[in-house]
Amino acid sequence: MRWNKRLGAVLICASASAFIGLASVQAYESQNSFVYKKKYVMGTIFEIATYAETPAQGSNGIDQAFREIVRLDDLMSDYKDESALSRLNRSVHLQPESVPDDLYRVIDESLYYSRLSDGKFDITVRPLVNLWKAANRGGRAPSLIDQEKLRACVGYQTVELLPPNRIKLRSSCLQIDLGAIGKGYALDRAAVVLRSCGISRALLNAGGSTILAMGAPPGQAAWPVDLRDPSNSLHPQVRLRDNSISTSEQTPPSLLSKEVTGHIIDPANGLPLKTDFAVSVIAKTATASDALSTTLLLLGPEKGQELVKIVPDMAAIWISADGRSEMASSGPQILLPNAHQGLTRSFTARPNDIH
Amino acid sequence: MPRKYQLSIRTIFIRKIILVWFCLSATCAWTRVLLRWTLPSVPPAATTGIGDLVVSWEASDLIRKAHDQGYRVYAEIQIHNAANMPRNKIRNELAGLILNPGDSQQSQIDNALRELRSAYKELPLLVLDTKAKQPQMKGQLVIKKDGVLQVSSPTAQPWIDSNLALMRFDQALRPAQTPLYEFKWQSGASEQPQDPDIQDYLLAIAEAGAFHADLILDLSQKFQSDLLQHNQAAWDALNQLKRYLDFFRRIAAKNLKAEANIGVIADTHQNSYEPVNLLARHNIQFAILEPSDLSPQTFQKFGILVFFAMPDERNAKAIADFASKGGTVVLADSHGSYPWHSAPSAPTSDHAVSYSVGKGRIIELSEPVIDPETFAQDVRRLMEKDKVLISLWNALTTIAVPYRVSDGPEKIVELVNYAEDPLQVQVQIKGFFSSIRYETPERDCCESLTSVQRDGFTEFVIPSLRIAGRVYLAGKSNTVSPAGR
Repeated sequence: MRWNKRLGAVLICASASAFIGLASVQAYESQNSFVYKKKYVMGTIFEIATYAETPAQGSNGIDQAFREIVRLDDLMSDYKDESALSRLNRSVHLQPESVPDDLYRVIDESLYYSRLSDGKFDITVRPLVNLWKAANRGGRAPSLIDQEKLRACVGYQTVELLPPNRIKLRSSCLQIDLGAIGKGYALDRAAVVLRSCGISRALLNAGGSTILAMGAPPGQAAWPVDLRDPSNSLHPQVRLRDNSISTSEQTPPSLLSKEVTGHIIDPANGLPLKTDFAVSVIAKTATASDALSTTLLLLGPEKGQELVKIVPDMAAIWISADGRSEMASSGPQILLPNAHQGLTRSFTARPNDIH
Repeated sequence: MPRKYQLSIRTIFIRKIILVWFCLSATCAWTRVLLRWTLPSVPPAATTGIGDLVVSWEASDLIRKAHDQGYRVYAEIQIHNAANMPRNKIRNELAGLILNPGDSQQSQIDNALRELRSAYKELPLLVLDTKAKQPQMKGQLVIKKDGVLQVSSPTAQPWIDSNLALMRFDQALRPAQTPLYEFKWQSGASEQPQDPDIQDYLLAIAEAGAFHADLILDLSQKFQSDLLQHNQAAWDALNQLKRYLDFFRRIAAKNLKAEANIGVIADTHQNSYEPVNLLARHNIQFAILEPSDLSPQTFQKFGILVFFAMPDERNAKAIADFASKGGTVVLADSHGSYPWHSAPSAPTSDHAVSYSVGKGRIIELSEPVIDPETFAQDVRRLMEKDKVLISLWNALTTIAVPYRVSDGPEKIVELVNYAEDPLQVQVQIKGFFSSIRYETPERDCCESLTSVQRDGFTEFVIPSLRIAGRVYLAGKSNTVSPAGR
């Protein structure tokens, strides 16, 4: 069964709630008890804030949601030697390997975004990321030979899914890294757990780079979220309700050296991305916003707007340090209280643009 | 030499003399955590097992009661009261005086110290640093004025509030006194002010202990009240707290010196605090030096020098000498004219120029450090790999402070995990050590850890770091033991 672990988490939470006498699904309107917790996991700080019927319900729900995130980290981490992902990366490639359902699912979704972006989003780019990371530590650019050698290891097309839960890596040097999608996937799974605990109003934050909103705070239409603004002049804001936002930007340039490059590598040419934009992306799920923010940063505003056209309920804003900005939307609205006429170009998809 | 600079050196010198004079009897060789008590009654010291209490000077009845209950009582005096202190009032009940300077200028603090010293000659006198923050792993969700929960300015960087940088400044600028600080508990994202929980107290003690600083710890009124009402949960919490106090008392007898291979030269917090804070957060081991204390000998133990203070002629010579022997120097916000400007140079970024001086280099940054996070990463990159003192993995919420034992080869590493949740931490430390032993307040000393020696470093994994941990490192024939064992 594909989702047995998820079902397990749901059942655990439901029974825990029943045990403490809180499993009332009729009382959503009275969800006013605010509970907030944070936890360090996946190399960042996860925060969850809920409005629940009682503090105990909120606290229990958050604890269960964090357990789910930790469980997923144990599957998807490339730092942990014993994670399912590390085992897959270490396995003898070129033959099918069975993987846990969640790992299969997140790789499946990753490949969807790779196809959607024609390879700009690629979970196999890790060898090149590691090459440039090592170069940054040593202060020297990697040789062209090294770059070419590792580019041959990169390509989402060589990841083959064999339902229901087997994966074949069709390149001997392929390595998978879920860093650009894993936190979003974990937030979506945590939201499922919260719902199973009877919680319908929550804001979930994965280190500020991906935020997922469930419902809205009591008496409010949505959760207001300030967006990243490198120019510190536009102060963009969105109102999230049952959708998610993610932000991506390249590492800021070194103050002391021109040789240091950013952490986001373009799979198309194997080189560190050069951009002064930060991009924020609103999408229906955290998995989607997480994957698409990296993708839209790599695509840039011009090509990125085309992608926004074909994904329903999506919006994006690119902002540079000098205050240039571009927007696109197929539904959600981005508020720009400080935008001046002519400074910001925006695009809104018409319904017939949405495929 | 600019007149302003001359005045600054003279002022610093006079302040140092004053502080040494006033605080001499107050110096302490190890961390003390003084609990601040505010309720009118206090349980007997014999039952709490706590020695030191801080009580407001104005609560003279409580001072007497606490003294009668067996505590060493420190009276906290707000600076505006220092001048009007009645002489010799409740002297016999006091173990010491603590001056809370608020936002006062240094000259006002010096005056207040004089007044207090004249009124209470024999009592130890401590100056409190009120600029500290609650140590914590910080989130980004905040409550706005309208009561709506909101995420502010998302970034990808996890964040911790640590007081290491502040302590290092205090140690450098007030060398006569072990740094003594306090902080106010923050309510976090919640709409209602929340009392700290036991984990928060433990983290505060762990931080002060690891940094070898003294702390005044605010006990919430509820905690105090629960203790007075014999609430079992409160007494259990107090026992946990005492376990942490004991953990750091154990190390008291050792002569430990914090290791550093980067010298940061600064005369004020201004312009340098955040970059130094980020160095601390990235586990880059630094020492803060005052410009007036410098000499070529001072620089010997460092591989890199970072100047936030403008070098005078004497220091410029020392810098050139340091670089010529292979050192790297970074001058932030540099605008002067220096002897090395005749050396070969090349721009290394939009705002930085590097001068080749002998075997080393001097990098001048033409503006203040506007991005401290990037600057800290730059400084780490400048360090030669074989000179990095300590590196941690899977530990973005952890600060490690290595100490050398009595100038010998043994080391002790104090670790603080601000996430308050068990972490497995990978450590790489410079030097070869065959004996690696690990202890925590929760578990008795010591668990032996297996290690690997590689390229001049020893690597090992800490199995579980919850809040505080300590590693003893020694060679084959030596072991470092906690004092009194």
